[in-house]
Amino acid sequence: MSVPVSQMWAVASYVIRQKLAGRKQYPLVLMLEPLFRCNLACAGCGKIQYPAQILRKHLTVEQCLAAVEECGAPVVSIPGGEPLMYPDIGPLVEALVARRKYVYLCTNAILLKEKLEAGLFAPSKYFSFSVHLDGLRDEHDEAVCRDGVYVQAVEGIKEALRRGFRVTTNSTLFDGASPLRMREFFDAMMDLGVEGMMISPGYSYSKAPDQEHFLRTQRAHDLFSTMLSNPEKRWRFNQSPLFLQFLMGKREFECTPWGNPTYNVFGWQRPCYLLQEGYAATFKELLETTRWENYGRRSGNEKCRDCMVHCGYEPTAVNHTFASWRGFRDTVHATVTGRF
Amino acid sequence: MTDGATLEGWAPEIGPATPLEEIVDKAFDYRGNITVVKTDGSETVGYLFNRNRDVPVPFVQMFDLTGAGPYTIPYGEIRAIRFTGRDTAAGNSYAAWLRAKEAAKAATHSEKDSGGAPSRGA
Repeated sequence: MSVPVSQMWAVASYVIRQKLAGRKQYPLVLMLEPLFRCNLACAGCGKIQYPAQILRKHLTVEQCLAAVEECGAPVVSIPGGEPLMYPDIGPLVEALVARRKYVYLCTNAILLKEKLEAGLFAPSKYFSFSVHLDGLRDEHDEAVCRDGVYVQAVEGIKEALRRGFRVTTNSTLFDGASPLRMREFFDAMMDLGVEGMMISPGYSYSKAPDQEHFLRTQRAHDLFSTMLSNPEKRWRFNQSPLFLQFLMGKREFECTPWGNPTYNVFGWQRPCYLLQEGYAATFKELLETTRWENYGRRSGNEKCRDCMVHCGYEPTAVNHTFASWRGFRDTVHATVTGRF
Repeated sequence: MTDGATLEGWAPEIGPATPLEEIVDKAFDYRGNITVVKTDGSETVGYLFNRNRDVPVPFVQMFDLTGAGPYTIPYGEIRAIRFTGRDTAAGNSYAAWLRAKEAAKAATHSEKDSGGAPSRGA
């Protein structure tokens, strides 16, 4: 089991409260982007291509906390940009932990060791580093377009674990990924001692430098099926097993674009973490004025056609778990047996 | 995005062939600074990060070159939009990485072929 019981309970009780309240649209994870600045320029990333004055901007801690309160999601993910370059990352994490939010700090870990040694963070069951690793050394360094980053990230992971922090990994997969090498990667991460791994196909950002290697639906199913068939018992994934089954083509889900809402220096991003079709000034405005029927596979929107990314489909999987006894049974079965 | 697809330098005339709404959509999609010329002759230079046509008074929102803002400009006050800033999504960083990798691979093969010791500081 890769997610602590307290976190499972917090999420489960939150979802049940939403259902009892009759809410059809509720957020599960707030994607809080305090800045777009990054110390990498990855081939598959469409998040950081902005003029200098935008890259210099960042949210204040007060703006971040106001967004967290307004949204109400039990989990806060801090991507970016590189959040360890955010000058107030220590106080921000501390404030979120004090509010009992489960925080995932998504980092490339280049600065992790340095920030840990500076005493910027304190271990907590509410706080996890989610280290970006797209595979073993060769694959990862190629994905981030810089040699040596894998080694730096592994050093950061070791240091964080040594200091008692929760550490997970997040991996984005593209066309050409080797299932065998990814299985070796899963073994390597377990050997390192990470708590759990998150995997997802990449989204075909129109602004990403590399437009040739995004996975289409069937290729994604083939890749994840091969990769996750006969999983090793010791592999732990920090995500819904139903989402993994969806990636393998064993389940049909529709996107839940409001499930992981995104807040950044521009406001509340419409409609989701991946597409940028405008911004709302408040979370309420985002929910009430976004034309949700225009998004997701059934909408026919070609930007959504091949998307299988966690931020749209993991909320669907979690909702499915609590929508019926069958969904709950399937989740428990996959969690306990480790079979997808 | 490829270098060939960039709108960098584009200065469209608003008219039947290229209506304002279409130019605003392209400016919204553009990852560089633009110049908005207003009907009073003044200019705002910066990054256009938002636009909304689904409201009674459609508007765009921008941060200027210092990052100050957001400044809200109604569609009705826009006379022209010019794509004056560098397109930051033109794909140069990835192209440079690929070129460097190819060069490194070629150098490695060349060293193997010649049987010489690996060079340093290249």
